[in-house]
Amino acid sequence: MLNRQSVLTFFLLIVPILLLPGAVGIMDQRFMQRIATVLCINLILVLGLQVFMGNSGILSFAHIGFMGIGAYTSAVLAMPVRMKSMALPDLYSCLATIELSPILAILIGALVAGLVAALVSYPLMRLSDAAAVITSFALLVVIHTIMVHWSALTNGPRTLFGLKSATNLYLAAGSAVVMVALALFFKESRAGVLLRAVRDDEIAAVGMGAHLSRLRWYGFILSALMAGFAGGLWAHFITSFSPNAFYLKETFVILGMLIIGGSLTVSGAVFGTFAVTIAYELLRFTESSINIAQLFPKPVVGLTEVVLACAMIATLILKPGGIMGAREIGHWNIFRKFFPDKNV
Amino acid sequence: MGQVFNLPLLLQPGFRVSDRAVFIPLLSCFGRIMSEQMLRAYNISVDFSGLRALDQVTLEVESGEIVGLIGPNGSGKTTLVNVLTGHVRPMAGAVTCSDIDITHMTPRNIALQGISRTFQIVRLFSNLTVSENIEAAAISHGCSRRSARRKAGQLLEKFGLERVRDQFANTLSYGDERRVEIARALAGDPKFLLLDEPAAGMNETESESLLELLACLPSEQKLGMLIIDHDMGLMMRLSHRLHVLASGKTIGEGSVEYVRKLPQVIEAYLGSDGNGR
Repeated sequence: MLNRQSVLTFFLLIVPILLLPGAVGIMDQRFMQRIATVLCINLILVLGLQVFMGNSGILSFAHIGFMGIGAYTSAVLAMPVRMKSMALPDLYSCLATIELSPILAILIGALVAGLVAALVSYPLMRLSDAAAVITSFALLVVIHTIMVHWSALTNGPRTLFGLKSATNLYLAAGSAVVMVALALFFKESRAGVLLRAVRDDEIAAVGMGAHLSRLRWYGFILSALMAGFAGGLWAHFITSFSPNAFYLKETFVILGMLIIGGSLTVSGAVFGTFAVTIAYELLRFTESSINIAQLFPKPVVGLTEVVLACAMIATLILKPGGIMGAREIGHWNIFRKFFPDKNV
Repeated sequence: MGQVFNLPLLLQPGFRVSDRAVFIPLLSCFGRIMSEQMLRAYNISVDFSGLRALDQVTLEVESGEIVGLIGPNGSGKTTLVNVLTGHVRPMAGAVTCSDIDITHMTPRNIALQGISRTFQIVRLFSNLTVSENIEAAAISHGCSRRSARRKAGQLLEKFGLERVRDQFANTLSYGDERRVEIARALAGDPKFLLLDEPAAGMNETESESLLELLACLPSEQKLGMLIIDHDMGLMMRLSHRLHVLASGKTIGEGSVEYVRKLPQVIEAYLGSDGNGR
């Protein structure tokens, strides 16, 4: 089903992901390993957001909420039984004796996130434009509130601890490669093409027979699945977290990566994640260097957020489609010359 | 005429079916009773906040014929097309397609019945390539990705659009946009094709080649065609029949020769001196 250009796009996009373990291995530093792993997890989140937002044209704030659902589900399922009595004293007895392997728990977490998305989102998918964005924001608030108050499962607003670390760079990078393929595949699938048609002109697309809410629904479910998966990976990497990890700050970072890279393409998602992560780490380094050297009488704070926000604004003004624009990297003319499309 | 109407109307009260799957058996059931392929708007009236946009208009398009819908600006031509495709709900009257009542169907279900249209102001999927624009229409009518691609290839060739097939739709020239939209409307193998000003913005040569293309479509693809356009020369050469609207009312219909001689048509449309092109 995928044509040559899409296959080429896939291989070009996984190159930087596959280089990560190599690059980090050479440097052999724990904090580099940490940055690279978080990058891969963020990449899965950004790809998930691209699946819905890029193809449907509707900004979704709820994305990080589904990450939280995946994180908590996998945490509850995979936590060692002896830790459960300590970390989650009120846990339901049927869950208290379960201890699944982390990978299985992460997959179930993704499925649960997808299921929740499927159940709550169908009526929302009829909405377009501002109404849809505001509703998704409300959905994030609802998910967040539930996470904060469902103490039996989440330990309330307090930190949930006691998870075994299971996610390493190889698992994260491997998953990211699979997710790149999944995002590309959805984009080129029948539902993906129609969803993009709806995005560009609702009236014309519906007028030729596209089922608007069902198409958006498919995109939303896949997007939530990917977010849930990333949440599970992240939970088993960071091992202790609270509901606040899945709220506005993370939403802003993920959104910034996608907007700067370009939400219309999978290439944009990959490029944005790498570019923003590298810029972020450099800025953090600069910030801490300035503070250590005491260049200013008071410490500099928030440099990373301010610069990211400014970069987002600049992108939206100068290149509203994001840096990568509307064409996948494999469709660029330079590659077309070497790999002509035989599928005419 | 009333006879044809009763069957679908009997089913109509409280009968809301929202999916194609339910309609296919219905369609074949009616198809056996009357195999006539006809798109018919019957006694359509439309009000836009007190303004009577259409007043008891009856229009029929048979499979294989080209009907030209003409009339001065604001006479309700586009509104009538919007009624036929479900984008505007009529206040009174009924629309049937091959004797299925489609008056209250959504635009989507009407499209799936095989009624396809283009828009007065071009509505392309701007961030999709030309080829994808056409593929999307084929896919929405149930084609697989591969057969949609093949179909798009054929239509691109037919409309001479191969040179722009990988360009984004928002980079096209005006004439190309029109052609892509017509190709897209044809991708779902429609039974009826409604074209709202297909030649607008085209130069002489372009509209000439478009005319040649459109003229052979009805017999090639077994479809009925309704065309709105302001180019009277084109309309008179292309149409098998003309239907004239003025201020929402039908003021004449019939063969091209007959209609152009009607005094009320000459007055309303061609100008009272009778020297229309």
